[in-house]
Amino acid sequence: MTSSIPAPSTPSTPPTGGPSRRRVLGAGSAVGAGALLAACGGPTGGDDSGSGSDGGGGTEGVLTLGLNRSLVSLDNKLNQFDAAVTVQRAVRQGLTAIGDDLKPVMVLAESFEQTTDTQWTVKLREGIVYSDGTPVTVEDVATALECYAPVEGSFVAQQFPEFPTLEKIDETSFTLTTQTPVVVLDSLMSNILITPAAANKPEELQDGVGTGPYTVTNAESGTGSYTLEINENYWGEEKPTIQTIEVRFMPEESSRVVALRSGDVDVIDSITADSVAQLESVDDVEIESVDGTRFNQLFYNFRKPAGHPMANPEVRRALTYAVDSASIVTGIMGDSVTSAKGVVPSTLEGAVDVGEFTYDPEMCKSELARLGVSDLALTIIWENGEFAGDASTMEALVEMFKAVGVTATLQQFEPGGDIGTWRRGEAGDWDVLGNGYGNQTGLALTTIQGMYGGTPEKEATRDSYHGFVYPEIAAKISEAGATSDEQARNGLLADVQQMVWDTYPLLWAFVPKALLARRARVGGIELKPINSYDITTVTLD
Amino acid sequence: MPRYVATRLGQSALTVFLTISAVFVLIRLAPGDPAYSYAGPLASGEELDRVRTQMGLDQPLVVQYVRFLGDIVTGDIGTSYSFRQPAVDVVLARMPNTVTLAVAAIVLAALISVPLGVWMARRADTGRELGVNMLTIAGQSMPDFWIGIVLLTVFAVTFPVLPAAGFDSWAGIVLPAVTIAVLQVALLSRMVRREMVGALSAPYFTVARARGVSESGLIWGYALRNSAVPVVTALGTRFASMLNGVVVVEVVFGWPGIGSLVVRALETRDYPLIQATVLVTAVLAVAVQLLVDLCYPLLDPRVRLGRKVSA
Repeated sequence: MTSSIPAPSTPSTPPTGGPSRRRVLGAGSAVGAGALLAACGGPTGGDDSGSGSDGGGGTEGVLTLGLNRSLVSLDNKLNQFDAAVTVQRAVRQGLTAIGDDLKPVMVLAESFEQTTDTQWTVKLREGIVYSDGTPVTVEDVATALECYAPVEGSFVAQQFPEFPTLEKIDETSFTLTTQTPVVVLDSLMSNILITPAAANKPEELQDGVGTGPYTVTNAESGTGSYTLEINENYWGEEKPTIQTIEVRFMPEESSRVVALRSGDVDVIDSITADSVAQLESVDDVEIESVDGTRFNQLFYNFRKPAGHPMANPEVRRALTYAVDSASIVTGIMGDSVTSAKGVVPSTLEGAVDVGEFTYDPEMCKSELARLGVSDLALTIIWENGEFAGDASTMEALVEMFKAVGVTATLQQFEPGGDIGTWRRGEAGDWDVLGNGYGNQTGLALTTIQGMYGGTPEKEATRDSYHGFVYPEIAAKISEAGATSDEQARNGLLADVQQMVWDTYPLLWAFVPKALLARRARVGGIELKPINSYDITTVTLD
Repeated sequence: MPRYVATRLGQSALTVFLTISAVFVLIRLAPGDPAYSYAGPLASGEELDRVRTQMGLDQPLVVQYVRFLGDIVTGDIGTSYSFRQPAVDVVLARMPNTVTLAVAAIVLAALISVPLGVWMARRADTGRELGVNMLTIAGQSMPDFWIGIVLLTVFAVTFPVLPAAGFDSWAGIVLPAVTIAVLQVALLSRMVRREMVGALSAPYFTVARARGVSESGLIWGYALRNSAVPVVTALGTRFASMLNGVVVVEVVFGWPGIGSLVVRALETRDYPLIQATVLVTAVLAVAVQLLVDLCYPLLDPRVRLGRKVSA
């Protein structure tokens, strides 16, 4: 039997009438790859940072700022942090501003005078125009007040005991009236930025015009990158000299430091003592430092039941003797802070030194023994990043307390965690809270009202400052807040501060310095205690 | 094939749906209250309640979820609490930067790791290959933030030839892309090496050599093509993970991508922003995986997508 071997088959011709499977897949892959490339973005910046002078028209070059927090917008209805003030005020201005001595100075207002306890009379400067040439009107101020008041969660709105009502007198004059006296209204109004009424809304504006020395030519709120150019219609006598300002968001401090050293940015803010130590040794970098207005404190929990050791002011005072604040200031914080000498920062207008924190562990032990307190256990809580060196400070406290026979347990919360419920006394029990209290008005009254003005009514809704409720102190604070005469008001505030100190609300407190690093070619930065500066005075060598 | 694509699209849609649903539940179960982040730590109880009502957080979780699904259908993920803008817009504003960085890093990694892996395979178990192997292990071991800081120190500070941060120019992509690529090269080159060693010892390889195919043809036309499927899978998987934002690298280099955006959104419990980020990145990730799967028949004609393997 024979078997036939089939002849080799000829190559089959490809089917006609359509592309091959491989071709379809290849085309599809190419389309997909093309789509991916189309989704790519290009560089976000324009001018190179730190470029030299162009020498034209008395203006020069580009100033690049590296901020630690992202500027969501150049409006402050919702967000306002220290570095934001510098940039926001470059574009929009208020009737007043906080001056170098933390007192209000006139900006858009020519005068801002208290005519009665509840009324102020304001006159706008003549000839002030926005960057588009349109004049500033009384209606713009009225609309601004109406737009700030309803913004939920507004940092600025929280500072106003009540928003004033505006009544127009003439084209440049008006009155601001409140139902109860707001004696620092001129300072508070420094945070109300004026925008043309037609463009203003009760939300953060992403664009628009202002009266500041710069205009916004590029805004990317998502990345926190902005470009500002000189406002050719700027009304001020002192004109800016820098043509362009680039604002960049750089959250990581080490990145900001590297960018400064490499020349990618000219100014960085909010740096810690470690970075200062590093940068001080670098040629071409200068450090600006000024005592700040932020009050970082270790605050006691005042929601302890009667009879609890921590409800006894003498026990609270005794515990303060266990804290070696000098070691913390030098060893952990690199002398970038100052131990507080009262219940508010000494830099604030109206602040007085009412006491000092003393380190005396033997006194602590003897006092606790005298008060019959033994085996005391404390829980210390704080949010990570509340202040520089927070974790190291708390760990140091554990050891200091151990030396006096007190057991301390630490509980750190991550940002976004539920420390808020703990602070309001709605969650776990705690004894000491690591916290910071900022101040953008330069007034001790603002901090005192916020921290020590608790009343039983506020505490009923857990709105007092960690349960600090002393009706007599709150009443005196209200009296000070309604006293127009500055000397009398400061006298009342001094009494209040002593009364507060005598309740021993603080285990320890300190005031961090406002720190900023700049390249040597940048001059004219006059850093204020509120951690901002007037961009108009900045120069590039 | 069309049925396969349709099935995969359906699976991808289900994957995205389950992902965003899981994230929806998990972020709401996590500790923290976005009202505090929104209103500030000193907000009164009344303000916090008002904010929660405004955010819809006072509703039962089921109600919030149903509303969320309805919003997705209408294309409205919600307004970011932090940015006060549509959350999707915030994410899409940054997404191109992340895609750019991911593309640059994966292309760089592929261009280096494939030839390196081939080189290692051809000199497998030799002294030189051992030395390179040790380097790849070192590359795998070094934390990416450390690599980034070293590169910054050398190329942006000591010898300032490249930008230190940001994406102001194309030069700004070099250091972050290299930082990401170091780890990827270490991993991928070892994978290429492993697959190639197997391919080089296969019978067909010997036959091809006997038939007179050139050495380069043998390596690149035969061995590498047969090793490509797992390598392409790995490249695709890694690229998809990069699209979620290489957080550490973005923070070190101040890269305006979504990695740092997600960190900020998590810190502030910005639910709409978190959900928008997850939605966008999940869609991109499944799209990349689908694209990779569709490439298999290109690489290996034996692969028939969608067909069951008969016994």
